[in-house]
Amino acid sequence: MNEYPEAAAKIADDYLERVKLQLRLVPARERDEFLREIQSHIHEAYHRTPGEQTAGEDDVARMLAVLRNFGEPAEVVSDRLPKAMVRSGTKWNLPLYVLAGVTIALFGIPLGCGGVGVLVGLLIALLGIIFAFYVVAGAFLLAGAVFMSMGLIRIILPELWDKLIMLGFIQINGPAEVFNHLSPTGQAFFMIVFASAFLATGLGLLRLGKYLLRGLRFLMSLIFDGARRFAQTVRRKLRRDKGEPLPVSQMSFVK
Amino acid sequence: MEYSDEDRDRRITQLRKGILELAVMGVLYHERHYGYSLVRALTETGSISLKEGTIYPILARLDRDGLVRSEWVESDQGPPRKYYALTTSGRQLFDELSKELDLLISLVQQKWKGVEPTTHAGKKLVVRKG
Repeated sequence: MNEYPEAAAKIADDYLERVKLQLRLVPARERDEFLREIQSHIHEAYHRTPGEQTAGEDDVARMLAVLRNFGEPAEVVSDRLPKAMVRSGTKWNLPLYVLAGVTIALFGIPLGCGGVGVLVGLLIALLGIIFAFYVVAGAFLLAGAVFMSMGLIRIILPELWDKLIMLGFIQINGPAEVFNHLSPTGQAFFMIVFASAFLATGLGLLRLGKYLLRGLRFLMSLIFDGARRFAQTVRRKLRRDKGEPLPVSQMSFVK
Repeated sequence: MEYSDEDRDRRITQLRKGILELAVMGVLYHERHYGYSLVRALTETGSISLKEGTIYPILARLDRDGLVRSEWVESDQGPPRKYYALTTSGRQLFDELSKELDLLISLVQQKWKGVEPTTHAGKKLVVRKG
């Protein structure tokens, strides 16, 4: 009569552990007395649960029904926590809070500043990559535009071309001297071909920039998601340490 | 605008919370009980269903305020049971609170006669109790 079948006993023990966890800031004597009281209630409810309600059900289902009727640990202990928390907070936890404050001041703040520094550095580096990428694209477009203009000048305004060479604005040296052996039309054709290649490359880079931005945004979201998840884990752990009930979404129910 | 089921349930819960403490005192007024038997006494009429564990915060509150006293009693049917009974101050408070509740119930259950609307602007509306 006093004992449950093994599986039901495990479920009851698990439930009592959860209640105990909620009550860990309550003085041991008060907590043990309350646990004994609940234990007594569960025992009686289990053995007196009317047969017709559990007919054909196994011991586990019977125990689960008892605990379901009893309610969640957070509801059961709700009125015992505040007083106990205040008492233990003032009596026992104050030196710990002071120690935690000093530790944070000594190590947490410098580490936090370092972390912020790394994040800012990373952000600046990523912005630098974007800036450099668009500078290269702009350079290609500019070179393309210059070559295109020169090609058109060579065909349409040959006098202006000669004048620019005389004034030294256009200089053809080194391997480019081969260029002088070509006809004016050939020279214009080459310059327009080069210009087209540069312009196409510049425009291609601008188009690729969209993907670069998406990639970087993805990378940033990965970094910030990771940081957010880490913060959530820390917050959950702190809340558990304080003995506060977890949100329903994070509660584990009786197996 | 219609109210939702959720809204109704929330209000019923609020209403019950206040009354349940008084109901617990009422049960303990006549005889001492332990947690499980108290729940059975409250629910045996079938008019109310409650999570059994919610009785313990109420008992803890009453105990803290000195309205009930408790003692452990051995049981031949299983683990010891913690019995609760109203203290003298608990009985006095229950008497006062139940009178207050009677007043409130009579207020809620009064048959109010309809308001006689008037079309004359500026005239006061008069509500008459039946």
